Amino acid sequence: MTPLHHATLGVDGTYPLLLGLWLLPLLGAVLCWTFGPQLKAAAGWLATGFLGCSFAATVLSWPAGTQLIGGAHGAHQALLSWLPGLDFGLLLDPLSLLWALVITGVGFLIHLYSIGYMHGDRAFARFFAYMNFFVFAMLTLVLSDNFIGLLVGWGLVGLASYFLIGFWFERPSAVAAARKAFVLNVVGDVGIMAAVFIIVAHVGSIGFGDVFAASPGFGTGVLFAICGLLFVGAAAKSAQIPLHTWLPDAMEGPTPVSALIHAATMVTAGVYLIARCAPLWSASPNAQLLVGSIGAATALAGALLGMVQWDIKRILAYSTMSQIGYMIMGVGVGAYDGGVAHFLTHAFFKAQLFLGSGLIIHALANEQDVRRMGGLRSKMPFAFVAMATGVVAICGVPGFSGYFSKDRVIYGTLEHGHPWLFGVAVVTAGITAYYMFRMLFVTFMGEYRGDVDHVHLPDWTMNLPVGILIVPTIGIGWLMFGGDASPWNRFFAGQFASGAPVTQPAISEGLTTWIVLAVVAAGIGIAYLRYGTATASADAPARLEREAASVPPVLANAFYFDAIIDALFVRTSQGLGRFLGQTADPLLVDGAVRETALSAGWLGALTRSFQTGLVRAYALVLVAGAACLIAYYALAPGAFR
Amino acid sequence: MNALGLVLLPFAGAVAIWLLPRDNRTAARALGTLVALATLALTPAWATRAFSVRWLSRPFAAAFHFGATPLSYWLVLLLAVCSACAIFAANVPRARDFIAWMLVLEGSMLGLFLARDLLVFALFWDLMLLPVFFVLIGWGRHHGTAWRYLIYNFSGGLALLFATAAFGVLDGSTDVIGRGDVHLIGSWVPWIFAGFAFAFLVKTPVFPFHTWMPATYSDAPGPMVAVVSGVQSKAGLYGFIAITLAFLPDYLHQYAGLLVGLGALSILYGAFVALVQNDAKRIVAYSSLSHLGLIVVAIVAFQPLALAGAVLYMVAHGLFSAALFLALGFVEEREGTSLLSRLRGLGRDNPRLSGALCIGALAALGLPGLAGFAGEIAILIGVYQSGLVWVTAIALAGIVLASAYVLRMFQDVMNGPVSPDLPVRPDLTWREGLAIAPLAAALILLGVNPHAVLTASSAQSPPVATAAIEPPR
Repeated sequence: MTPLHHATLGVDGTYPLLLGLWLLPLLGAVLCWTFGPQLKAAAGWLATGFLGCSFAATVLSWPAGTQLIGGAHGAHQALLSWLPGLDFGLLLDPLSLLWALVITGVGFLIHLYSIGYMHGDRAFARFFAYMNFFVFAMLTLVLSDNFIGLLVGWGLVGLASYFLIGFWFERPSAVAAARKAFVLNVVGDVGIMAAVFIIVAHVGSIGFGDVFAASPGFGTGVLFAICGLLFVGAAAKSAQIPLHTWLPDAMEGPTPVSALIHAATMVTAGVYLIARCAPLWSASPNAQLLVGSIGAATALAGALLGMVQWDIKRILAYSTMSQIGYMIMGVGVGAYDGGVAHFLTHAFFKAQLFLGSGLIIHALANEQDVRRMGGLRSKMPFAFVAMATGVVAICGVPGFSGYFSKDRVIYGTLEHGHPWLFGVAVVTAGITAYYMFRMLFVTFMGEYRGDVDHVHLPDWTMNLPVGILIVPTIGIGWLMFGGDASPWNRFFAGQFASGAPVTQPAISEGLTTWIVLAVVAAGIGIAYLRYGTATASADAPARLEREAASVPPVLANAFYFDAIIDALFVRTSQGLGRFLGQTADPLLVDGAVRETALSAGWLGALTRSFQTGLVRAYALVLVAGAACLIAYYALAPGAFR
Repeated sequence: MNALGLVLLPFAGAVAIWLLPRDNRTAARALGTLVALATLALTPAWATRAFSVRWLSRPFAAAFHFGATPLSYWLVLLLAVCSACAIFAANVPRARDFIAWMLVLEGSMLGLFLARDLLVFALFWDLMLLPVFFVLIGWGRHHGTAWRYLIYNFSGGLALLFATAAFGVLDGSTDVIGRGDVHLIGSWVPWIFAGFAFAFLVKTPVFPFHTWMPATYSDAPGPMVAVVSGVQSKAGLYGFIAITLAFLPDYLHQYAGLLVGLGALSILYGAFVALVQNDAKRIVAYSSLSHLGLIVVAIVAFQPLALAGAVLYMVAHGLFSAALFLALGFVEEREGTSLLSRLRGLGRDNPRLSGALCIGALAALGLPGLAGFAGEIAILIGVYQSGLVWVTAIALAGIVLASAYVLRMFQDVMNGPVSPDLPVRPDLTWREGLAIAPLAAALILLGVNPHAVLTASSAQSPPVATAAIEPPR
């Protein structure tokens, strides 16, 4: 055994607040699960309260998370050790602090919202147990100081996601969606496991500090293999091509779940992983190119598919996939602060959009098809304001949060020498503006096309979180204003040392902003002409039906990813299983065994004679035979002294 | 008292239960549970206190020598836990006889794991087949299953007995388990190795010796299968570590390629077949083939961490397959079937039963945070380091397949709309819940911190020294 480095990120010590913010949601989950029948409606308040305390503890941990003592950044709490080299602990540094704030903060608001949204559900307490458990799992993911701890969180958020997608498990579609999400995410888990094997073989430790300290010694191939395998995990969790197909189906879960897990937090775990492993990615240009390209392809594909959806949650799901594509593109090419910034703003505006859509779905008795909405602006003015703010923010209209972060990502692709990715990012921004405004116009403008007579307006527990979220949806981006002097850059000073720009782009940041704005304006304009004008609203029902019928097959079938995965993996595995189970096992393997048994004559005779009855008697004979054999050795003449 | 007392305790309990009136189920179960709990409680104190009496001196020395090694200690503990849970859960017709047989099974396997003498080991090997055989005859669906189980495993036992006798003649003593200074030389040795290997491969089982298993597991009552699948399947793997690896490492090395191949084949074969089975118990049976194949690979990878992981995964597999078979037994008792085509939507009215099956299922598919994952990752880190990259890849594919077949099993039983054809039965009783709870707790505990089990194999004899990560290259 050679001694290990035990390099830590963060100042070693005991941090009760850190342990508290991590474990409180677990306690809440256990209580809600165990005492669900007794708690009834109080379960929602209990879970929300525990999460509120966790959020408070996170805020109070800010000084510990940002402390900088002797080159160590943040707080490190050791937990336990399986074996030397397999040590587990918690790390709270600016990166994990940011994620923890979003998880507990946005999580708290969504919990509060759920109290109203899930009111009257027969498994109300179980819902909150799962939600609190999810928060615990997600905190485990972002607070772990090592790859296996991260993997544990990674797997547990997948489990929480599985439970919540399949929450209404009497619906076969929800059950199928949950299984699909879980299995695809296990593909990702397995990718991270493989990366861990290579890492341990080269470093002898799973700690982030040890691994990053040793990473300059890795060869190019090893580094690319590690990054590539880690990215398999990131792609599965963050719905990147080709492992994205579970995300649209995941909308089977209740809307608050979509907001918390499948928009604001869990699906950004891949972004966190890459940002966390910045020292590895920055050292591997091949991995940067691969991940940046897949991020760009996902951003574009998600946006294209978002154009042709009619289910309001599926529109948002594809936009989530597209926006995570931006984040992955950002952190992939090395613009870590940009990708992470887009995570932060997206967490707010996408939670806002999902919760806003939840207001509508709740009010219209679970209607999700935008063709059967329309004219809701007058019926639900608050929902309109909430959705409109979110749409404006996601499109990158100047002054709103999405503008600042998307701008950083788009310019970051140029700064890190990827003009092609820049092109894709700009085009995608235009498409995003088009399909988001399309959703807004079709939902809120014109005449109501559905058949719900009485709009069921939500109570304050649902309205309040949406109202609160409007503030960061508009304003959070200003943290990123001001270049190097901005609060954002100062918060992350020292975190992403390896993410400095590599080239001076040919065009200035100001010019790229104008290009993006022009494209976005064009997208909004086309959406307005097609869906927003008075003439467009006039014959909307017929027009929308015609449009739905004329969607190109390649988009209607989502680029055939489901069909390809089904044909390549699912059907072949089942076919092989059927052949082995129904043909090979009984006929070949067992057949050979039976032949052997029968050709040994005595065994065959034995089997036949036993079928005549008197089973126990014959068994006794067999046992007696065995006993005689043993006795022969034991009692052979002279065996005893 | 000592290890012998631990072995005799369940046998004494079985005799006492047979003296009870035939139809007193409650008394039989109470006494059986009491004996099993006493065995569990006394294990830490008695198991490691050795007992030895000279038995033979010619043609070789043999002794009634009992006492736990660090490795067998965990298997004894696993056996005691699983037996107590299974007996407590038992709700079968003719419960008195069934519980007595369960205790005979526990006693004979205690003898097997605690034996320090190969001849005693072989003796208990054959003995532990009988209670399963009689339960299959008395409580199973087809007598053929019982005979197949007995004949198949007994032929392995016969090979084991001959190998043991030859071992004794060559070495002069069979009182060797746990010793590190035994080296066999002679032209018989390959045959001795073959005898041991055959017995262990059949008992585990490993492809292509597995065809006795699915029928046995789907025919026998849940509580019996819980112990057979959970603990008896570890007898062969324990033999591989405590006998083959300890005394015949050169031959194990020589045939490592073959065994790795069989293990890898078992992983994929079991997983693919489990994917399309219709009987939930058969799915778990074939998943066992897949999981135990991984342990065989881990043992012959000759890497300390892989071996440490193998021991942990043996314990983990014991816990989760016991939990799964107990839960499926509860399902079968309620609905009269374990066929996926007939079961549906039980979770709505049986949330606790659903939870019990769920935790076993999650551990089986290797959910991080539960013991199965800890074992798998330790094994695979070691297997990768030993250079078996392609086997690592196969094992990872096995994990993906496991998530598919385990979830299919769980969801088809518990999820979906409630079926009008199935009788509505009450949810898990407190007794049934209490039988599963210790298994679930152990799965979580060992999943969070498996340190104690991971270090058990480092006390093994050479060539397997300390379990730790290899130094950086």
